[in-house]
Amino acid sequence: MTTVTLPAHVLADPEHILVREVDKTYPGASARALDDIDLVIRRGEFVSLIGPSGCGKSTLLRALAGLEPIDTGSITIYGATPREACSQKAVGLVPQTPALLPWLTVRQNVELPGKVNRAASKRRAHRQGMGASSVGRTDPDELLDLVGLAEKRDAYPGELSGGMQQRVAIARAFGLEPDVLLMDEPFSALDEFTREAMRLHLLSLWQRMRTTVVFVTHSVREAVTLSDRIVVMSARPGRIHELIDVDLPRPRDREVLAGPGLHAVEDRVRDSLQRAWDSGAVPSDLVPA
Amino acid sequence: MAVVTALRPRSIARTETAPRARRTIPPLPAAARPIVWGPTVVALVLVGLAWQAVAAGNPYILPRLPAVGTAFLADPLLFVSNAWATLQIALLGLVYGFGVAFVLAVLTSEFTLLRRAIMPLASVLNVTPVVALAPGLVVAFGFGMAPKVIVTAIITFFPVLANVSTGLRSVQGPVLDVFHTLQASRLEVLRRLRIPSAMPYTIAALRVTLPLSVVGAVVAEFVAAGSSTGLGTVIKTSAANSQLAQMYAAIGCLALLGVLMLAVITAFERRLLFWHESQQRRR
Repeated sequence: MTTVTLPAHVLADPEHILVREVDKTYPGASARALDDIDLVIRRGEFVSLIGPSGCGKSTLLRALAGLEPIDTGSITIYGATPREACSQKAVGLVPQTPALLPWLTVRQNVELPGKVNRAASKRRAHRQGMGASSVGRTDPDELLDLVGLAEKRDAYPGELSGGMQQRVAIARAFGLEPDVLLMDEPFSALDEFTREAMRLHLLSLWQRMRTTVVFVTHSVREAVTLSDRIVVMSARPGRIHELIDVDLPRPRDREVLAGPGLHAVEDRVRDSLQRAWDSGAVPSDLVPA
Repeated sequence: MAVVTALRPRSIARTETAPRARRTIPPLPAAARPIVWGPTVVALVLVGLAWQAVAAGNPYILPRLPAVGTAFLADPLLFVSNAWATLQIALLGLVYGFGVAFVLAVLTSEFTLLRRAIMPLASVLNVTPVVALAPGLVVAFGFGMAPKVIVTAIITFFPVLANVSTGLRSVQGPVLDVFHTLQASRLEVLRRLRIPSAMPYTIAALRVTLPLSVVGAVVAEFVAAGSSTGLGTVIKTSAANSQLAQMYAAIGCLALLGVLMLAVITAFERRLLFWHESQQRRR
């Protein structure tokens, strides 16, 4: 078996995702979408990005996924560039909509990441550097069981509710056993009751898999419930306003989530968001003429 | 209407009503209810009566319907063999037209330069009346099947190219993002994502081009001098000889051919597009 040795710079830091002095301006935009963003994420950490619309949280997530080019600065995922990380299948993405393939069954959808780009799976199995080299070998049926969809494995996405579809998308992303899982407002299209249930599903799945997660949301409750750390961002230009540690015990069972600690952190995040809002320029569409 | 009918299994209707069967009459399947087929039958009868009324006064313009039936029964083999000849040209032309258009749709969606080179030409070909091309094609390709097949291929080419191109570009952004983070190759994106996504558009193109292929074949038979087979030829010669009943019998056969083609494509669609919104049961 040949082992793939990653370039020296990749081996430099196998334990952190580093975002250094990143700027980005969309063509034609007046303000920077990302302005001097510095962020360090430890392996195994659950980090949420929260802020008003236009604060660049989704842009930052897309940049981490290598889907959005940045103007200046650097992003490294355990030492590798986002593209290199993707070529190792180290990055999992859960977009805002479930993005399932409607002509495949639930199980086939979950298996899909393993079937696409097989060369990357092999590279990943034999790599050195970037820390752990687990290969996406979690049994799809086990994953579906974990998200409570075992008996829907042979159904097609069109037969499922929105919440079920998003659970399939999450199972698909976890099935890859990515080194980092990027989730872009995955529950925003769901109703409040379903969101509540989805958070619990995600918590139990994360408790088991312990994947590094970067989670974009505009819900304070969601950010506090799920995260170890919350990145509060402000808009126009998109900046990091404050980092807030969520010092609630894990596993976060119903008792923790109903306790006063949760509300205390929620209040801190709300205050911070308010100050972030005040500090950012007022969006032009809200300025009275 | 037809879709709803076929998707409702009879057994469900029966089990639902079973406990109350004594008091209520079990509902008939939708297709058997007079309210469903009644209007169609009434419209048919009215058109038939109008036809007969016109035909009674003008037998040299419009033959009576029984005469059309008699003309068909006098030599059914004539119609069947010529229908087969026309169908062969139609299907062969469709296979070529569809095949070339599909491949070009894939290539132009992948390579922008190729799209810029080919799409204007294809559009010009589309707006050129094919009937005008046909005589030239006959001169170039002789009097056999070739010119007819080419006319049919040209007429079916553009709807397929336009539809499939749209379909290949109809993939949602988030799904593409997922494939890009997996660094799927362009071929994988094409095979696993773009071509399946284009299926509804491809089937829609077939729905248009299957009947169109018969139009192409008949037009080609009209234009190609010395054409000796095909329903188009039958229509041309019987019109020239004032055999109106025979002419309308041939036209009836063409209509029937078109209906059969639509039936085939509808069945095909249900099997292939079971996952698509268009095939979901309406609530």
